[in-house]
Amino acid sequence: MGCSSSVPDRASGRSGGLNPENSAADSKNLRVKLVLLGDSGVGKSCIVLRFVRGQFDPTSKVTVGASFLSQTIALQDSTTVKFEIWDTAGQERYAALAPLYYRGAAVAVIVYDITSSDSFAKAQYWVKELQKHGSPDIILALVGNKADLQEKRKVTVQDGTEYAEKNGMFFIETSAKTADNINELFEEIAKRLPRPTSS
Amino acid sequence: MAERSIMLHILEPRRDAYGFALRPQHTHRYREYANIYKEEEEERCYKWKNFLDQVATSFQVCPLEEANTNILQAETSEHKEEIRSRRSSTGDDSTGSNSESVDTTDSSPTKLLEYPIEIQKRVVETWCQIRPSLNAIEIMMSSRVKKKIMKDEKTINGGDHLPPLEEAETLDGTSVANSEEDEACISGSLTRSTSATGAESRMGECMSNSVKPSKRDGVVAERVSHDQLFTWQEELECLVRGGLPKDLRGEVWQAFVGVKTRRIEKYYQDLLDQETNCSADNENNIPSGVPIKLKKQIEKDIPRTFPGHPALDENGRDSLRRLLLAYALHNPSVGYCQAMNFFAGLLLLLMPEENAFWTLVGIIDDYFDGYYTEEMIESQVDQLVFEELMRERFPKLVKHLDYLGVQVAWFSGPWFLSIFVNMLPWESVLRVWDVLLFEGNRVMLFRTALALMELYGPALVTTKDAGDAITLLQSLAGSTFDSSQLVLTACMGFLTVTEVRLVELREKLRPSVLAVIEERTKKGRVWKDSKGLASKLYSFKHDPGSPAEKKKKAAGADAGPCTPNLDDFLSGLAGDSETESLPDLQEQVVWLKVELCRLLEEKRSAVLRAEELETALMEMVTQDNRRLLSARVEQLEIEVAELKKTLAEKKEQEVAMLQLLMRVEQEQRVTEEARINAEQDVAAQKYAVHMLQDKYEKAMASLAEMEKRVVMAESMLEATLQYESGQVKATSSPRSRNQGSAQENQRKISLLPFALGWRDRNKGKSTEEPSE
Ligand SMILES: Nc1nc2c(ncn2[C@@H]2O[C@H](COP(=O)(O)OP(=O)(O)OP(=O)(O)O)[C@@H](O)[C@H]2O)c(=O)[nH]1
Ligand SMILES: [Mg+2]
Repeated sequence: MGCSSSVPDRASGRSGGLNPENSAADSKNLRVKLVLLGDSGVGKSCIVLRFVRGQFDPTSKVTVGASFLSQTIALQDSTTVKFEIWDTAGQERYAALAPLYYRGAAVAVIVYDITSSDSFAKAQYWVKELQKHGSPDIILALVGNKADLQEKRKVTVQDGTEYAEKNGMFFIETSAKTADNINELFEEIAKRLPRPTSS
Repeated sequence: MAERSIMLHILEPRRDAYGFALRPQHTHRYREYANIYKEEEEERCYKWKNFLDQVATSFQVCPLEEANTNILQAETSEHKEEIRSRRSSTGDDSTGSNSESVDTTDSSPTKLLEYPIEIQKRVVETWCQIRPSLNAIEIMMSSRVKKKIMKDEKTINGGDHLPPLEEAETLDGTSVANSEEDEACISGSLTRSTSATGAESRMGECMSNSVKPSKRDGVVAERVSHDQLFTWQEELECLVRGGLPKDLRGEVWQAFVGVKTRRIEKYYQDLLDQETNCSADNENNIPSGVPIKLKKQIEKDIPRTFPGHPALDENGRDSLRRLLLAYALHNPSVGYCQAMNFFAGLLLLLMPEENAFWTLVGIIDDYFDGYYTEEMIESQVDQLVFEELMRERFPKLVKHLDYLGVQVAWFSGPWFLSIFVNMLPWESVLRVWDVLLFEGNRVMLFRTALALMELYGPALVTTKDAGDAITLLQSLAGSTFDSSQLVLTACMGFLTVTEVRLVELREKLRPSVLAVIEERTKKGRVWKDSKGLASKLYSFKHDPGSPAEKKKKAAGADAGPCTPNLDDFLSGLAGDSETESLPDLQEQVVWLKVELCRLLEEKRSAVLRAEELETALMEMVTQDNRRLLSARVEQLEIEVAELKKTLAEKKEQEVAMLQLLMRVEQEQRVTEEARINAEQDVAAQKYAVHMLQDKYEKAMASLAEMEKRVVMAESMLEATLQYESGQVKATSSPRSRNQGSAQENQRKISLLPFALGWRDRNKGKSTEEPSE
């Protein structure tokens, strides 16, 4: 199970601090808009449902347009982070609507399925799109899902790690089915959020 | 065992009367409404039966029909079953089972399985005509389909929708509405021709094929006079708004969509054959088959379409797959788009496979033309139109949403694209579809969305952040169980939202969507950048303000209050193009400025034209003063008021009941407490009694012991006395002196037993105690 992070302090490279509309509230309670992107069927909806409801439904529903869920987590330093999660539709033509949802997002989680090279290629497309059109200080996370299907693996951990490193992203492999690394993914994202420089 | 079955019951996701999964948080509310649904269903079955009878007798469309109806009234459900299977096996439409034989009492999922089971039994081609009692409706509705097809022949690519019914009936109507639509058609086809593919002309071919009169049976249409059609239509509209009876729904929908008129014999089977041949022949992406990519997508989505629905077993899924593949072949400009899986699935639950195919064709090709294509243009346009209507209707709410940073399209997008499937409770979804399919356009989509805003707007303005607002709206929409209220609000509350109005707004807003797409396709390398720019343009466009102000902004002259937006936009432009070469950037700036000016100009003129047209329309409306309509509106409004009143009353009652319940509960709690106290007392007392008994027993035991000792002491005393008396006898001299001592002895003896006993007891005690 690969879990590596690259470019330890991304925020230092760019101007830290979040856009007031993306995330807000005081320094103890953060609010973050997060968008999930990736090919259809990679498990975006399953990841969200696992994170928010703690369930895995092997027969999830196709996402039409987008759907919204939110979840708050508490960190060790007693800050709370409220994730406002937009789960988008995966089919290619729905990409036309994606800007509506990723515009102004503080975090984009780009998901692929480790058993599908196509989905990895699609993830790279999304990375490029977001680097160009996402908020300039957007946090990008690359997620290889369905890590429980080791025997069907097509994309190696190394592929994921290397690509993420090259693009200054955080990388993790997860399984919505077994819940492996799901909470870790969001906790890791929460840690990377630039804190509002309190006055 | 029993426990296990209870467990299973809990684990199994709950399903509604249609077999669809209910969200756990909604099961309770659903149960509350189940009875209301049942009552409504009974009422509408009765109304529909009357209506169909009336139509049948006045037009003698099918003289046999009435007799059949009467016979059917007495028929049991077993008979019905038989009839159904007969119908499905022969495709014979002579049975005409009627609405009143709907089994409303039994709404269990198994009942609903009937259709899907039929589907299983059938071979691939499964088509059956709708019952003859619905012929009149079918004829009425198909006139607009014919007109649409005729129009399509003229313009190759048609307008977006079926023409309105009135227009369809007066076949050469020259109303303003008509000319408006024609204009829409022409410009629609012009703009679309830029992105037209060979595929689309293929589709045009298909459509024109289907006009060949030899394949149609519209002969009866001539018999029905237009006047009569009109009165029916009024009545029918009322009935449709009240909802369709469950058992008729599938067939009435087909009549609304004009399935019979659309259908081309063997077309569906040919598509399926073509598909199987292609996939058997060749793995390569040969042009005649469904593209691999779409096939893969369909495969991914089939198991995720109403997962776990009892009817979508393996056979159900095979039907779904065939249906989607056939449609993808039929209309390659759409192919397959996520959301269609749900529509196809829903239709398959209500009708046989080929009927479902033609219904889907009608919905996607006509009602939602341009919605699900690769570019999804019309869908995007509709989002802008809806936002405009929102701003007009609910300025306060929109202001609040703006403040929270919520974009209307975030939630309206999914609503429109899914036609509310999975967004509202099923009963409401079906009721909205009833009206939408009847009307032949997307007006109901807007009206429903506006009704939802009307219902839930007041709650939304209380939210404090974007997340809460969306969450609240999603959950409120998801629990809109009062479908009658929803449909009534939608149909009566937004009468000014008409097709004509929508066509105008679309015309006005389409250019901005097209510009983005045009850009994307025109400049291969740069398209991504321009898309970003365009999306900024989009938000720029959304900046509230008069056209004049915007014009100033566009010129970049004034540093007014709105200019930061433009600055943003320009700096964004610079930022975006860092990687691009400089000339490109300048080109883009120039282009964008020009484009912007053009857009604003267009917008301004469109606004003016819209205003003109609106006043014209208002005049028309007042002239066209249909007292009937307004009377009905009034009546309905009274009904609404009454309903609201009863609702309020019910609520009051509920509150009172709740209070009563609470009081009772409290009392119960008090008595319970008292009971517990009493019980504790009893226990304590029991314990004390027990203790006392113990003590008593012990005391009795010691008493017995003592009695024994007394007896012993007495016998000892007796012995002593005897001994003593012996001695006294032995020393009886001198007698005189002993006289007194004998007396003394006597006294001694009488005292002795007591003394002995007392001594013994003390002694016994001291000896017993240590041993204890
Ligand atoms: N084995 C395994 N299967 C998974 C996992 N996550 C999701 N799946 C399966 O993948 C299917 C698709 O998952 P979804 O979450 O619906 O996919 P999606 O990315 O939301 O797809 P779209 O809504 O079409 O964009 C589900 O039906 C699950 O059965 C996982 O971690 N392991
Ligand atoms: Mg999904």
